Amino acid sequence: MYFILIYRIEIYRAEMYEGKIREERGEGMTDRIKRVYIPMTETGFYILYSLQNEMHGYNIGQQVKQMTGGEVTISPGTMYGTLSKMEKDGLIRFVREEEKRKLYVITELGREILEIELHRIERLYQNSKGAFVYGR
Amino acid sequence: MADRIMFRFWTITDYEKEERFLTEQHRGGWKIKRYVLPGFYLFDRCIPEDVVYRLDFDQAVRGEKLGYLQMYHDFGWEYLFDVNGFSYFRRPAGDLEEDMEIFSDNESRLEMVQRIFKRRMIPLLCIFLCCLVPQLFIQYFSWMEWGHVSSKVLTIIFCVLFVIYLCLFIHCGIGIRRLKEKYEKNFGKE
Repeated sequence: MYFILIYRIEIYRAEMYEGKIREERGEGMTDRIKRVYIPMTETGFYILYSLQNEMHGYNIGQQVKQMTGGEVTISPGTMYGTLSKMEKDGLIRFVREEEKRKLYVITELGREILEIELHRIERLYQNSKGAFVYGR
Repeated sequence: MADRIMFRFWTITDYEKEERFLTEQHRGGWKIKRYVLPGFYLFDRCIPEDVVYRLDFDQAVRGEKLGYLQMYHDFGWEYLFDVNGFSYFRRPAGDLEEDMEIFSDNESRLEMVQRIFKRRMIPLLCIFLCCLVPQLFIQYFSWMEWGHVSSKVLTIIFCVLFVIYLCLFIHCGIGIRRLKEKYEKNFGKE
């Protein structure tokens, strides 16, 4: 059993090392971010999309529920985790605090990622309808 | 003082069982008041109800615990307490099934499993490999070589600890693998 565990730790370390090399080569942080965020999870997408306007977590949850007629709900654990991860990666930034609730807004990098995602989803949608507008 | 005290042991990978256990207790008219390590439960008598319990592991960013709890509060969860890195939440069972979860996708469930692994398993492994195993050999050697009584006692203690650790690792290793497979392959809800 520990061999498996040690093996896992080794994999983790190898990944860290790989990341370091990539940064040294000058591929930059954005490549890592693209790898992590594209394609995005559905909740991730809705959160980033909602943050085009300044908002806090509960607001986002309410808005997404409304937008999707209750078909997509975001639970607090996922909301909190996604928000802190996106803030750390620079996709969104903290604006101010309102009664212990943190308000966020999208950043330039976040907008870039959102654009790429929107394009991907649009293509997916068009192709699924049989309109191969992106084909050659 | 609590109305009932109970002993039950669980470790990091059994948090789903723990959630179900607390729900059952509440249904039977016992709501949890405190949980004290290594496994003492303090229950208060209450009206039997369907209440959902959920555990989150160490997710709050350092220094932002209040904001984290506020988020859960906004979504209708009552915060109970923190034990061993786990935050306990509960809410009355309602008709909207998706509101009864604190995670809405398997990615965040997997992240929680990874957090548990990184913050609980790796430190334990370090203690095990860097302290316990070398000490066991050193004490055993000095017992065999010089026949010290203290070494004999320590050897036995370390042997017992060794077995306990081994059982824990096997249990948690299997548990983590099971959780990972469950969340990776199919939808994680019960």
